[in-house]
Amino acid sequence: MDWVLFALIAIPAATVPVFMLIPSRYPQLVRNVAAGSGFAMFVLSVLVFVRYEFTGGSGLRFDLQLDWLENVAFLKENGITYHLAVDGISAPLVLLTGIVIFAGVFISWNIEHRNKDYFVLLFLLVSGVFGVFLSLDLFFLFFFYELAVLPMYLLIAVWGASSNFGTFTRTKEYGAMKLVLYLVGGSVLIFIGIFATFVEAGQGTFDLPVLGSVTYDETFQKTFFPFFALGFGVLAGLWPFHTWSPDGHVAAPTAVSMLHAGVLMKLGAFGILRVAITLFPEGAEFWAPVLMTLGVTGALYGAVSALAQRDLKYMVGYSSVSHMGFVLMGLATLTTIGVNGAVLQMFAHGVMTALMFAMVGAIYDQAHVRDMTVFGGLAQKTPRLAGFFAIAGLSSLGLPGLAGFVAEFHIFVGTFNTYPWAGALGILAAAITATYILRMLAMAFFGPFNERWAQLKEMRLGEQFGGALLIFFIAFMGIWPAPFIDRIADSVRAIPGLS
Amino acid sequence: MIPIQHFLVLSSILFSLGIYGVLARRSAVLILMSVELMLQAVSVNFIAFAVYLSPEQFTGLIFAIFVITIAAAEVGLALAIILRIYRNKATANVDEVDMLKW
Amino acid sequence: MVGMEEAWLIPAIPAAAFAVLLLVGKYLPRRGDWLAIGAVAASFVLFFPVLIDLLDEVDQPGFAGVSSGIDWVKFSLPTGPDFQLRLGFHVDQLAIVMLVVVSFVALMVQVYSTGYMKGDPRYGWYFAAMSLFVASMLTLVLADNFLLLYAAWEGVGFCSYLLIGFWHERRSAAEAAKKAFVTTRIGDVGLLIGIILLWREAGTFDISEIFEFAENGGYSAEYLTTAVLFLFAGAVGKSAQFPLHVWLPDAMEGPTPVSALIHAATMVVAGVYLVARMLPLFELADPVALNVVTALGLTTVMISATMGLVATDIKQVIAYSTINSLGLMMVALGSGSVTAAMLYLFAHGFFKALLFLSAGSVIHATERQEVSQLGGLAKRMPVTAAVFALGALSMAGIVPLSGFWAKDEILNVAGDHQNFVVYGFMMLSVFITALYMVRVVILTFLGEPRDRGAQEHAHDAEPAMTVPLLLLAALTVVAGFVTFDGVGEALGFPGGFGEFVFSEEPEAFHFPLDVAVLSTVAALAGLATAFYFWSGEAEPARRAAETFRPAYETLKRKYFVDEVYQWAIDRVVLVTGGVVAWFDRNVVNDTGVDGTAGLGVFTGFGMKFLETGKLPNYALAIVTGVIVLAIVFMVVRV
Repeated sequence: MDWVLFALIAIPAATVPVFMLIPSRYPQLVRNVAAGSGFAMFVLSVLVFVRYEFTGGSGLRFDLQLDWLENVAFLKENGITYHLAVDGISAPLVLLTGIVIFAGVFISWNIEHRNKDYFVLLFLLVSGVFGVFLSLDLFFLFFFYELAVLPMYLLIAVWGASSNFGTFTRTKEYGAMKLVLYLVGGSVLIFIGIFATFVEAGQGTFDLPVLGSVTYDETFQKTFFPFFALGFGVLAGLWPFHTWSPDGHVAAPTAVSMLHAGVLMKLGAFGILRVAITLFPEGAEFWAPVLMTLGVTGALYGAVSALAQRDLKYMVGYSSVSHMGFVLMGLATLTTIGVNGAVLQMFAHGVMTALMFAMVGAIYDQAHVRDMTVFGGLAQKTPRLAGFFAIAGLSSLGLPGLAGFVAEFHIFVGTFNTYPWAGALGILAAAITATYILRMLAMAFFGPFNERWAQLKEMRLGEQFGGALLIFFIAFMGIWPAPFIDRIADSVRAIPGLS
Repeated sequence: MIPIQHFLVLSSILFSLGIYGVLARRSAVLILMSVELMLQAVSVNFIAFAVYLSPEQFTGLIFAIFVITIAAAEVGLALAIILRIYRNKATANVDEVDMLKW
Repeated sequence: MVGMEEAWLIPAIPAAAFAVLLLVGKYLPRRGDWLAIGAVAASFVLFFPVLIDLLDEVDQPGFAGVSSGIDWVKFSLPTGPDFQLRLGFHVDQLAIVMLVVVSFVALMVQVYSTGYMKGDPRYGWYFAAMSLFVASMLTLVLADNFLLLYAAWEGVGFCSYLLIGFWHERRSAAEAAKKAFVTTRIGDVGLLIGIILLWREAGTFDISEIFEFAENGGYSAEYLTTAVLFLFAGAVGKSAQFPLHVWLPDAMEGPTPVSALIHAATMVVAGVYLVARMLPLFELADPVALNVVTALGLTTVMISATMGLVATDIKQVIAYSTINSLGLMMVALGSGSVTAAMLYLFAHGFFKALLFLSAGSVIHATERQEVSQLGGLAKRMPVTAAVFALGALSMAGIVPLSGFWAKDEILNVAGDHQNFVVYGFMMLSVFITALYMVRVVILTFLGEPRDRGAQEHAHDAEPAMTVPLLLLAALTVVAGFVTFDGVGEALGFPGGFGEFVFSEEPEAFHFPLDVAVLSTVAALAGLATAFYFWSGEAEPARRAAETFRPAYETLKRKYFVDEVYQWAIDRVVLVTGGVVAWFDRNVVNDTGVDGTAGLGVFTGFGMKFLETGKLPNYALAIVTGVIVLAIVFMVVRV
């Protein structure tokens, strides 16, 4: 079964040359190939999730190790290996990536402008994302991390949209550049951290399990925990380094927003958990109050900002900041319950925010406006779109029976255990979430129908399919979260330093 | 045998003349010649040290040959550039050729 | 045989019906309304074997209900017990009372809806949402742990949102739905905090385990007080207690059967049910906790009763009477009597549903709901008028209707456990309640029609709507009798309601004549005053309004609570949002981020002038650099 992990990274990467070989006068063939490849990834990611074995222990499954570089001067016998494995934490995230890319292909169905190049970049990005979730070698983790970030620049700058908001404008180039500069800035910190760890460990390897078996000096942990936490945190929308995210969303095309908020932001949180917290438990303990403060601030700040937005994408963008704040809160609790909740929230937020962006995109494609105040009563014209949007929104405000509730409940319980004040503020942020979601629904979808949108049609079939796929998982996790929690708890237990 | 200091003095003088030429001249051709002078000063050093310090090895001599070869190639390239500049600007005065600024 | 262990079936059937209706409802004949009704009927029928099973076992000493369920989430923690969330159901006397109210009223309302909602374009969706509501509500009633309780609590709130906003084409309906959800959500913040606070010490979400933990002194008094007050915040939101009562009158935007089921008989009493269930915790906590319950309950009673006096929308009046009733139940709980609160809840479920459904018949027939456009309907709709009057008199507390017995029980406990101020206000509220309930009867059904056009086609509704009314009317008359020993004996629970449902000790049936006489006098006085004020041209009422204009205005504008909230939302919440968004854009982004970028650009701009493009300058720089480096190395001798 180990080949599955290799295949997950290889399929999107191998689809890239296939795209390149297709003459650009056959756009439909490109789409079909993308759909096929997306389906393959989806199936394999489901396979990884389902065939996860509960054998206990440190929780590595499907361990695949290929030598890449070793026994040269500074590298000892382990060296740099192409070490892939899943554990209970990455299994749901791999599944998430599979879902979002499969849905994303259908959402991108009607891209006409250079759709071949678009899919090339999209699939490169996905290859990187899978790589990060699966790599157990810091070198490759970093490599894939960069691979996931860089295609974003072109995807946004070429296929994105510039917007004028009256008092200010945001061009797509601006959004793209800010996003990439921010993330590359974070990468610099990570890069420094990786080398510091490599040298300090003195094992001559970048292999995470080996590095994790070393006990690091306390001062070293305290010094270098922030490098990883901040570096990955930038990608996780850590306040106050979050502004790339809403602006990036506003500029990005729909499927890129879905991947960006749905999956890419999770890479950051995943990195904090996989590298920073796992390697440096004492550093984590030292910095946890700071991380908690930033997480809570982000959760509240994002929610309150979202309240003031009129642009649908900005609203969803700020809600992502808010929800990633919950993830960071969960991580900062350093308790089993809280970290479980954080991973659950990564998955839950991934599917629901992808759904929200897909629906915003479906409206924008037809209306070419995203200002919620100019709509009104859309539910009468496009009931399905309204229903899908509402489900995503309700999940995000934590309605029981949908994914968001399970995750937030764990996070709040964990947070209350360690920092009751933060827990109370977090619950408050969830209440504000309800306010802005319902406000948006009331403005755009309910009330008297605005005749200006008489031409509006229901979503395309592809969009409906993508949306339904996401909704299935939102409802599945909301109603029966045990398969997720069993896997997550299995591995979270193995992380040192959690209480 | 002539002491090594003589060679070193010679090469220093050549090198200083070269620097002076590079800094003081305004004609591109003369600057190029001064650069050649500096290169040859280095070659003299190489050969002197090679002969005096490790006569059984040829490293220094080989380097000198390298320097000469590369200098020749460089002159070919540089003269071509200067020629182009002269064609375009009708001058080879480096003060008047400041196309490579901001 | 279905027993208490299988009680989970009761909510599961409507839930399954919801799933079917949602997915394939529009392909079913009659859009699947029969499925929804059948599911509720099945739940109602299943109630009986569960009740019989309970009555079999209830006599055993130390009986505290029967739980069953499965793990929903479970994982071990490094220290302490496993973290466990269960889908667990618990049947005890308290639950069984709620169960019968919910399942019976839901059945009546669903049947009634087939007539009321006929021809609506979203007929199928209505029944799907109603099924979901019934499932959530029954789950709430049966939950044996806080997680499931909270989930169902949010679930009923969500269904309420869906159904208030059922006619979402109307801006007012969409706004009312939003208001209801957000307002109750504010209370739910407290509820969730309370739940987690209780868990934090006890390490379990199971309600009976938490009771046990609390009884063994696991919580300090202050801690427990804080926790139960947070829990109470949830009840305040859901049961529309002051100051979160504002959503309930607006919620009347929903279809009237929805108001009858959700905003009268079942969901809004969930808060009362929660407090009743948690009463052991309230009693272990500082007395402050129960005093807060009493104080808020009493405030709610007084403000809602007075606002009911001036409301002109027939549904709004009933909504205020609901808030009034909820306040009464809270006062009963604040006095420590589960029996009184639950008896009232039991009776209230029937007569309030009756009031709403008969008001619905009026609205259905006339398409008017402002009392200024009604009047004189008794001639055209005799059955509706009769059952409405019956409900109103029950609410007013006229002997021997169920409302009388229930209200009397509350007055009893208020008299026993509270000071005379509370008792006095309670008596006053009896008077006002009678006043405004009779008022709405007079204005709607008696006198001369004020809008003839609306009444031309008015007549009693079809059987599907009338039969539920009659059944509910019958229960309105008899439901109160369960409090008697003899009736209880005959039905299988000797000792009557007070022996059956209690928190600490059974409360034997007692009937102090002074309270009964006093309350009857108050109610009859209210009735007489109402006739004096509003019969005929209602001249005395108009004069009174003129004389006490400021007071009238205050009531009309609902004590300015809505204004205060609106102000707070516009001037505080949205402004804060705007400020934060502005800060994010202009300070964090444009100053912080773009500023950093600008600094780089600016530095580059300054530095570029060093690039002269002149070869001699570069050469000089190189040589100078080399010389400086050489000197540095010579001095430092690296």
